[in-house]
Amino acid sequence: MSDAQSERGREARSDGILAVMARTPVLGVFAVLVAIFVASALLSPVFLTSFNLSVVARGLAFVGLVTIGQASLMLLGELDLSLGTIGGLSGIVMGLLMVNVGLPAWLAIALALLLGATLGFINGFLVSVLRLHSLVLTIGTAGIYGGTILVLTRGVAITGIPRDIHFLGRGTFWGMPMPFVIMLIMLALAIFLTTKTPFGRYMYAIGSNRDAARMLGIKVDRVRILVFMMAGTLAALAGVLMVARLGTAQASVGNAWVLGPIAAAVIGGVATTGGVGTIIGAIFGATIIAIIENIIVLFGISPYWQGIVSGAIVVLAISFDSISRKWFRRGN
Amino acid sequence: MHPACLSVSTFSSKAEGEGRMAYLETRGLGRDFPGVVALENFDIDIEIGRTHVLIGENGAGKSTLLKLVTGTDKPSRGTIRIDGKDIMRDRDLFRYIAYVPQELSLFPNLSVAENLLIPFHRSGLKGLVRRGRMHSLAQDYLDRFAIEGRPSDLVMDISIPDQQLLQIARASTNQDMRILILDEPTSSLTPVEVARVFKAIRDFHARGIGVVFVSHKMNEVFEIGDDYTVLRNGKKVDAGKLSDTDERALVRHMSGQKLTLGNEFRPHAEAQAAEPLLSVRNLSGDRFNDVSFDLYPGEILGFAGLVGSGRSEVMQSIFGYRRARSGTVQTQHGSWPLGDTSKSVQRGMLYLSEERKHHGIFPHLSLRENIGLSIFALTTSPLGISVSKERRAIDEIIDRYEIRTPSREKIIAHLSGGNQQKAIIGRAMATEPRILIFDEPTKGIDVRTKAQIYQIMKGLAERGIGIILVSSELDELCKCATRIVTMHAGYITGTFQTKDTDTETLISAIFDMETDHV
Repeated sequence: MSDAQSERGREARSDGILAVMARTPVLGVFAVLVAIFVASALLSPVFLTSFNLSVVARGLAFVGLVTIGQASLMLLGELDLSLGTIGGLSGIVMGLLMVNVGLPAWLAIALALLLGATLGFINGFLVSVLRLHSLVLTIGTAGIYGGTILVLTRGVAITGIPRDIHFLGRGTFWGMPMPFVIMLIMLALAIFLTTKTPFGRYMYAIGSNRDAARMLGIKVDRVRILVFMMAGTLAALAGVLMVARLGTAQASVGNAWVLGPIAAAVIGGVATTGGVGTIIGAIFGATIIAIIENIIVLFGISPYWQGIVSGAIVVLAISFDSISRKWFRRGN
Repeated sequence: MHPACLSVSTFSSKAEGEGRMAYLETRGLGRDFPGVVALENFDIDIEIGRTHVLIGENGAGKSTLLKLVTGTDKPSRGTIRIDGKDIMRDRDLFRYIAYVPQELSLFPNLSVAENLLIPFHRSGLKGLVRRGRMHSLAQDYLDRFAIEGRPSDLVMDISIPDQQLLQIARASTNQDMRILILDEPTSSLTPVEVARVFKAIRDFHARGIGVVFVSHKMNEVFEIGDDYTVLRNGKKVDAGKLSDTDERALVRHMSGQKLTLGNEFRPHAEAQAAEPLLSVRNLSGDRFNDVSFDLYPGEILGFAGLVGSGRSEVMQSIFGYRRARSGTVQTQHGSWPLGDTSKSVQRGMLYLSEERKHHGIFPHLSLRENIGLSIFALTTSPLGISVSKERRAIDEIIDRYEIRTPSREKIIAHLSGGNQQKAIIGRAMATEPRILIFDEPTKGIDVRTKAQIYQIMKGLAERGIGIILVSSELDELCKCATRIVTMHAGYITGTFQTKDTDTETLISAIFDMETDHV
């Protein structure tokens, strides 16, 4: 038996770099990320300045939080298009509770996060119980949550957010922007959850084959609802941090958090069909997008052209991934 | 070394000596995959108007061969000739070969007629779709293959056996077809439906079409086959006419070692406890009615019946995968919760589905992750899953259940069906179940792995586990089960002690003869 074991071990070790890359696509994404980082540093003298890096990190923090949630849902084979409006609505509600109701900051934040979890629960519950397709359902709930923002604010920003929570959005910790630090903590938790706990393995199992997961006695609906709640909470956290950073609760918060995180996850190797990919890969994907958007600005490309350029680069990045995977497979 | 190795030369010389004209022939055919030679120096001659049977264990190279001769994969070396012409010069020759895959590959949401005739250009339909013309064309095929159903029916609404026949009918809409390849067309069919397939095959012969038939069922091989080729580890180990050989010899060539057929895998049921593990009473649900039976610890309880007789539906309802309409299930400790698979698993019941692909494996995950899903109790600490503990536990399962894989990190979808099945059984065993339901556990599995699975079931039963074995193969039930329950059209028609019954009695219960003839 020990013979057989050592033989298997040897086989795994004797695999070439190409084979390892083919099996763990996240290394490929990381290589692309490093290449883009180095290229940006060489192309622009401003890129590596600590001010610019902190701008990139701060921007990445908000999208990153939503990406963690969206990628977790994608591992299950679900998508939530309402995460952006969940983040926006939670930020607005926090602002209202502080400014109009006068609740203490910690309580307003807690209630905002709870709201995010609740809205996520509604999505997950409807998907599970009514057996709706999450993509279609969340187009609807995104409209409802986004409409609620307009009803509550009539499009006017809520000003006068208490100064004592500004540090959440603007402060630094060991030189890093506070939202970025919080995102890293959430990332570490999500990586632990998806790779080291039975719950995380269940997520992959459900995404890979839902019927087989039920046959194995996995509580499919419960796992799904919990992941929707987790994604909602992370979106709400992003909304809270964004409001803390802006100092005002604006109706537009969260508008950019719908498609970006999905693109980031796909660039990072997460399949939209479920069961394939990693959270860290999705964050690498988000970082790639953040750096590209930053370099476009640094190059002074006309803002009218920015959408076209960054969109084209996303398409390139995704095709690079699929082409390289095909290439690895053939080389293998 | 093995007697089988010697036979390679003797048999191939015999085949060449015949001097008949082969329509499809391969010479020195080889296909390499990284690290593996999937097919090596392979010669075969397929003649029209006859049935050529391909047999071999899972992973012996049958699928590789079929991919090469149907043009879905290219050989690493060697030649393929169709009607004497080299296909490398003219790939268009592949149109003479029609292929029916093992798995259903129909469009469930389209009509029977559309499924038959798509792509339209191949069936000679031009211009806009005209339903009348399409349906009359389709009706001819339905009649010829005795398929129940109208051309306008959706494929999802016709029975699985009819879908299987429809796949064969669809292949035959190819007007150029001279060779038809059927890859395990009978694996989910009962004897009556198999007879329909065989009738279709004989019709093809009459029309001058050659049939390649892949099957693991020896009785079918001898009933329909004329010529045969045995593959093992990518090589031809035996070939010739079926009239010159017998089942024992074929099994020996396939496995490369002597195997006694008709082994008894029945557990010793002497110490049957008085208390049943499970008492099912008057259970009714979708496609089954008023089902009552007891399962005792230490027995293998067989369930026989035609496809569609409701056996799987009963089991899935007890397990909680489907809803039961009425009835109860009791254990010594009170009533069994219905409708919740996770509660059933917690209480020690597992259901191993007939549909490995849909209900058994997680195709994107590795062998380790697939098995690991059921052994978290062994591998998880407050610090999370310990991968080293997981590896150790899984290597043990791989060794104990003889799962053939290059690595535990291999994506499970890339393993052969037999090895997937062993992984699923190994995973189930790791949860130490008290009640195990095997639904067609040896469907599409080679003879040697079958024997292993029977041995595993026997060992489990003798440890006091209650096993339910749902099978369409009476032979399998008689070998393994202590008692056999027969079902017909959703009702139980009899319960028999295997040692006191015979196949004739069982078959008449399966077909519910008494009721039909009154």
